[in-house]
This record gives sequence, structure tokens and C-alpha cells, in this order.
Amino acid sequence: MRMFATIANLLVKRVLTAIPILLVVSALLFCILRILPVDPAAMSLPPNATVQEIEAMRTEMRLDRPLYEQYGIWLNQLLHGDIGRSIHFRQDVTSLIGSTLPATIELAVIAMMVATVFGLAGGLFLFYVRGTRAEAVMDFISILLLSLPEFLWSLFLLLIFGVFFEILPFTGRLSPGFERPVVTGFLLIDSLITGNISTFFNALEHMILPCLALGIALSPSLMRVLRSSLLDAYQDDYIQQARLRGLSEKRILIRHGLKNAILPTLSLMGVQFGFLFGGTLLVEIIYSYPGMGNLMVDAIRNADLPIIQGAGLTYCIAVLVISIVVDSLYLILNPKLRMR
Amino acid sequence: MAILSAQGLCVESLGGKESFPVLTDLNFSLEPGKVLGLVGESGAGKSMIGRTISQYLPKGFAVTRGTLEFDGEDLVSMVAERRRNLLGRDIAFIPQEPLSGLNPVLSVGQQMKEHLLRIGLAPGETWRERALKEFESVHLPHGSALLEKYPHQLSGGMCQRILIAMAFASRPRLLIADEPTTALDVTIQARIVKLIAEMQKRDGTAVIFITHDLRLASQISDEIMVLYAGRPAERGPAKQLFSAPAHPYTRCLQLANPTISGPRRGLFILPERMPGLRVLKELKGCRFASRCPNAVEACTESEPPLADIGPNHIAACIRTEKTPEIMPPLLAPGREIASTKIHLNGEKLTKAYTTAWSPFARRSSFKAVNSVDFTLGEGEFVGIVGESGSGKSSLARLVVGLDTPTEGRITLAGRDVTTNGNAEKAYRREYIQMVFQDPQSALNPRRRIGSIVTQANEANGLHNSSLERMNRAAELLKEIGLPPDAAMRFPSQLSGGQKQRVNIARALCTLPRILVADEIVSGLDVSVQAQLLDLLLKLRDEHGFSMLFISHDLSVVRYLCDRVMVMYRGEVVESGRTETVFADPKHAYTRSLLAAVPPDDVNLEWSPVLAEAGYQVE
Repeated sequence: MRMFATIANLLVKRVLTAIPILLVVSALLFCILRILPVDPAAMSLPPNATVQEIEAMRTEMRLDRPLYEQYGIWLNQLLHGDIGRSIHFRQDVTSLIGSTLPATIELAVIAMMVATVFGLAGGLFLFYVRGTRAEAVMDFISILLLSLPEFLWSLFLLLIFGVFFEILPFTGRLSPGFERPVVTGFLLIDSLITGNISTFFNALEHMILPCLALGIALSPSLMRVLRSSLLDAYQDDYIQQARLRGLSEKRILIRHGLKNAILPTLSLMGVQFGFLFGGTLLVEIIYSYPGMGNLMVDAIRNADLPIIQGAGLTYCIAVLVISIVVDSLYLILNPKLRMR
Repeated sequence: MAILSAQGLCVESLGGKESFPVLTDLNFSLEPGKVLGLVGESGAGKSMIGRTISQYLPKGFAVTRGTLEFDGEDLVSMVAERRRNLLGRDIAFIPQEPLSGLNPVLSVGQQMKEHLLRIGLAPGETWRERALKEFESVHLPHGSALLEKYPHQLSGGMCQRILIAMAFASRPRLLIADEPTTALDVTIQARIVKLIAEMQKRDGTAVIFITHDLRLASQISDEIMVLYAGRPAERGPAKQLFSAPAHPYTRCLQLANPTISGPRRGLFILPERMPGLRVLKELKGCRFASRCPNAVEACTESEPPLADIGPNHIAACIRTEKTPEIMPPLLAPGREIASTKIHLNGEKLTKAYTTAWSPFARRSSFKAVNSVDFTLGEGEFVGIVGESGSGKSSLARLVVGLDTPTEGRITLAGRDVTTNGNAEKAYRREYIQMVFQDPQSALNPRRRIGSIVTQANEANGLHNSSLERMNRAAELLKEIGLPPDAAMRFPSQLSGGQKQRVNIARALCTLPRILVADEIVSGLDVSVQAQLLDLLLKLRDEHGFSMLFISHDLSVVRYLCDRVMVMYRGEVVESGRTETVFADPKHAYTRSLLAAVPPDDVNLEWSPVLAEAGYQVE
């Protein structure tokens, strides 16, 4: 009961603090983009438009009003679910984000799962070989991995498995000719719901390389944090006491050591997951993956202000949600933080 | 038939560049149902015996000679799996720090379940029933609510009870209790010790009770072994050993501890400290010779053998007949405080803490300090005693200005400093300095001692040139009895006692009129404690400062303080001149505190109040 009360308490507090954060971020986004030397009115018209036509457009788009009034109008529309229309794609920003965000979430979630598996396994292995010669070797390898960025991994994996061995696809989310069911927008989930198993496996194949690239790049820091938190935990009396109670080393590691050491690792994972949302960009480009990253790049290249604003807000909300989720997990795993 | 016996047991460190002995030539045998007390200063090797039994020795340590048999089986040569099987079933351990002995992220129930399932349940019994039964036998009521709790929600005493319940759940034949009460309050200590004795009688368990407190060991043990630098100095029946110690080390330890009753006597100051294990190999004669008041030349020639001096009583000393001649120094006659000048005055001091806002719970507030009046006169040492949670440290924080009182007034040398603004803070700093409990964390590990002790000069910017600071550091180190070259060292290069001296020197740097000392001798060996107490008295004679001395150790307060205040749940329940309060306590709480201290005379009955303080389920 106490746990639920504490989590409810946290949720209420965090949602209340999220409101001013979102307001500040939206104001910043709006102001910065309005200060940029691009004229949305001119961009919305064909290149041969006259000055009068542009002026008329400015009035129509209410760009002649003071900045705060424009912000008010924009915010009002935002609250009604209208983020505006893309100047470049001539489509609602909501629908553009709605079609790319699930792809990015899928990518980020699976990449995080890969990173977690590699990070935990590697961390446990690093800890297991502590004090032996293998430790120095593992240490070297983990630092080497730490220094390779995700786009290098993307290129390596693409060249090896995509180009050289030709065993895995490396462009887009699906091979041509596969049916693309749309229910939630999450391709893996939708194909399962609609019973489209061949689509599911094809989509999964497409996820392997980008997710591996991201996951491998994230895992070394997780390994190292887990290893050092395990070393810390093993300094504590309860580990020694568990040994003196005759528990096996395996049980001590999993049930007593890992349960304590996972806490710092979890906060790092939260931070990484937040970064991952913005960080899929390069990988999405390399693998022509139709996610938010690619959308953002297009939007920035075309100075498509509504999309940049919408995407910016989406990132902000995503980070807030992730931090609430991580903090709730923390409460579940760490009884010390629960309400007294 | 002995349950545990050691024959010529030697443990050595072989890992590093050079090997050195850790335990030398240990002989003992422990019968079922008997208690063996292991006594000695830290570093004497007491805990190493427990670790040898479990064979969880530090890296590079190994048994090099002798045997250690549990129920006829050699623990050292035993297959690891077989030994692990014994641990937690036949051989149980109770740790020193109850709060950290339990896993913080698992509930009490989860940990109890894990252990009970391992040792096996009776047919048809659920782990929960069994857990409640075990809790009941250690007098933990409301067991089912307790199962849902996490260690941080419980007091140290309760955690220790849970660990005792776990240890005795398997009806072990041998129990090793390693300083199980050192981290606890006196009253809790008494209850825990009595509880271990009760359980031990129930199951006929043999107990090894490790403690640095000879007085406590003499009350609960059948036999005592005093260790010095890894070697037994004396072994004998508890009462006999305590009332007529044969080895000078035992006698010195006894005399270094202040008494709780009778006339106040001086403390015997053991000089220096125990030789480090690394130098033992070069040491030819008796290991204690360098500190022994009775040492003669013959003592340094060869290691004295353990000689019989009575029935079952042996001591490693060639001059045991001279031991009773060791006498404590005469106590300087109690000074009457001539001046009635009051330095510090607290009126109706109250500090309340309120819980953080939450939409789901009402804010509640709790008074850590409740309407406390006190005064501190010039040159006066006032002791504050009470259990943890009684508000001692909260009061100290109010006095030094780390907290601001919710109500009440503090006057310092005639000036009201209650508001604690910047001007008051600066004024307060000149008058009051604080000495913290744990020198390990109170001293910045990256600064040299010379810079640490003169830290106060940085605050006012006066005398802050490096030459002035070096000179002041040299003076301070001389006063606290450290060599001048200590100024260039780092805290990690000093011993625990030396660090605490540095801690005191730092507070004295700008010659404050008042020191506030929070448990500054707890956790130190009695020999070091005696050195520090006499240092404080000497420094008072030289500088005439006064002190608020917070301690849970009543004998220390009795030795050091002119007046004493007894705190209970944030309030002062009794105060007065130390002799008066200790000789004729008026409040029931003071009486229970005093009764909890093991008596000085081993033949007196130790009858602490065992009534459990009300445990409230949240």
C-alpha cells in the first residue's frame, strides 16, 4: 500500500511540476524559432510571389502581431491539439509526428533492451573476473567499446551484415511487397494484432542492425556502472552476513548484490533513454529509417518551423515521461525512498 | 566433548611482499552451552578468529599451523561446500552493525523467508508461522507487521533482535557474536546481551562473544581470553580473571576504563599503541613490553610462555606477581568551579521537524528538542546523556548554530544569538567550536594535518599566512601530543585515536570558549579513550574552556563532567552535579540508564531493566 501511495504521490507532484516546464520549453521554442531569419510567410508562397502577396500572407498568418500575442495564439491552438501545418510537406504536424514517433519509440525501446542485456551481462562478467588477469583485458575492451560512437557501429554492422554477408536488411522498416497494417502505428505490435506474422518478422529483421548499433554503443557505460556499484555493494556488511548464513555465492550475487547495485545502473539507463530519443537521428539516417530523427533533419533543412516546434515539444514530453517512469521504478526497487 | 577447539592455531598473511603473523599460537576449547569472551583492543585479532572459523579470511590470509575443529571435524581442511553447509545451520553469526547486517532493499520477511527455507522447516509448517515463532522468542511483538518492514524503518536494537532470531532459528551449536552491542545504546545493549544469554541457555549453544569491553565480557562469559597483537595474553575463568587479572595488559585495560560506581578514580593511561602486525616479526620479547609498566630487561629477550597461574588460568607474563601493583594515577582533586560566570544559556529551546508536503498524508510534526533549559558556566564540563533519538545531537546542533530553534532563546556570553543571522554566526564562531563524532569523515582526506588544524584561520582571514599557520599548527600538535612532523601528513596516515586528537586540535585553533563534543570517544578503544579524556582535562586546565559533552557512555560522563543532563524524548528529565545524579538518581529513566551499565564489581548482580520500550506499528 505504501508503495502505491508513494508512487501516486510522485505522479501528482511530477505532473504538477511538468506543467511549468512545458510552458517554459514551449515559450523558448517559439521565441527562438521566431527570431531565426526565416520568413514563414514567404516560404508558404511560390517563389514568384509579389511583395504585396507576402504582406497579405503575413497578415493572414498573423505574423504582424506582437510576439507574445503570436505565442498566445499558438499556445491556444496547441492546447486544442493543433500544432500547425508543415510548410514543406503541406500536412498537419500532428499526423507527421503521429506516423514517425511510433517508429522512433520502437527503435529506442528495443535498442534500450539490447543495451540492458549487454550492459547487465557485461557488468556481471566484469565483476565476476575482478582481481584476475581477465579483468585487465575486459577493462580494455569495455573502454574500447565506450569510445566507439553509435554511428560507427551503424556503419560497421551495415557493411558486415548488410553488404558483405547480405544476411540482414538495412534500409527502412519493411521490405517492399509486405503488407503494412496500421492500428496503433507501432509496426511490430500492429502486425501481431492483425496476425501478419511475415510482416512482423520482416520488420524485426529491419530493426536488428539499428538496434544493435544503438544498444552496443550504450552498453559499455552501463557495464562499468554496474560493475562499480557491485563492488560497492560487496563492501557492505549484509553481503558478508549472507555468506556467514551459508548462502551460495550465486544467490548472494543475484539476490543481494545485484538488487542493490541495480539502482545506480537504473538511473543511468533513464538518462540514456532520454538521450536516445534525440540520439537515434544519425542511426535513422544511416538506415533510412522513417522515424522522428529523419523528420527532424528534413524539417531543419527546410526551415519547417511548425515541425521543429512540434518535434521539440514531443522530445520534451518524452523526457518528462521517461523520468517519471524511471523514478517510479526507483521507488519500487528502493524501499528507502518510500513514504514514511 | 568440546564443540570448538583450537590447537596451536596460527594465521598468517602471505599475500603481500612479506608475510606476517595475524594470530599466533591460539589454544582453547569451548564446551557446549559455555560462553567464551574474547577481549582486546582493535587490531588484537579478535574478529579474525570469527573469520577463521568461517574461513572467509581477507585475501592472502591463511591458516599456516595448528588445527581448528568443530565437533571433531577440521574446519580448515574441510571441503568448502561442507563448511558452507554448516554456516547458518550449526554455526551462526551475529554482526556488529545490525542496521547494515540486513539487506536494505529486501523486507525483513523476504530475508527471514530466505533463511528459514534454507535451514528447513518442520513438516506442515509455513515459513511465516515459523518466522513469527522465532520473533516471539526474541521478544519482538507484532511479528506479522514486522515482516513487511524494511531495515531502515527499524531501530538498531530491533534489527539486532531480528538477526538474533535468524541466528538461533536453526538451533545452532556454535554462535559467534562479534561486538553485537557496540553500535547500540546502553539500555539496548543490556537487553541484547541478556537476550543472547537467554537464547543460548535455551538451545545449549556455545558462544564466542567478542567485545572490547572487559567489564561486559566478565558479566556474561564463563571464560575470557584476552588477546594482544594476535596472541593470547591471558585466559581464565571470567570472574577470576576480572577480579584478579594476572597479565599487566588485562589490568591496564581494566584501569583504563572509568568506573560507574564508588569513588571516582584516575584512568590508567596505556602509552602509545599496540605494535602493528608487520613489526611483530622483528619483535623479540613480549609483545606488550613496550607499553608495560612492569617491564624489565628480561621481558624483551624472549617471548614469555603461557604459564599456569591458577586452575584453568594462564597468562603470558614472567612477572605476574607484580601485576596487582599497577595502580591508577591519583585523580586531581575535583575543582570547585569558582567562577559563576555563565557563558551559554538556553531557555525553553524547542526544535520541531515537519514532514514534507504530500497530497496523500497530513503533515505531521515532531519535537526533537522540547522546551530545554540549560546553562554552561565558565570552565564547566556538562555531559548530556540519553539514548539515541533522545535529542542530544539535535540540541548540540542548536547550540553550535547548525540549526535554528523553532522556539526559545539562546544567549551566548550575554548576547542573544537565537536568530542566527550572519552577524550572530560570526560571533558564535569565535565562541563555540564543535568536535564531530567520526574523525574518519570529519577530516578532509586530501588536506594535510597542518592545514586541517588551522582551518579556522581561513574563516576570519586573520593569521592566515602560511608561516603563521605552520607555527600555529606546530603549537597545536604539541598540545595534543602529536609529533611536529604530523603536520605534513594526511589523515589516512594516522591512527583512529590520532585522528580524533587532530579533530580536537582543529576545534581549539582559535581558542574558543566553548567546545561542543558529540560522542567523540565512542567507537575508540578504552586505552585511546583514556588518553583523550585526560587530554581534554589537561587542555581545560591550560585554556579554561567549557564543554558540552554528549555521550551515551555513562562511565565516561561520570569521569569527565562536572554536571550532567539526562535527556529522554527531547526533554531533560534530570540534571545536576554528576556525583549527585549518579549516586542518587531521582528519575526512573536515569535509574534505568544506570542499571544498564555492567557493574564494576564482577560479583555484583547486573540487573538491567529489561522492559521493552513500547514498539509502535506505523
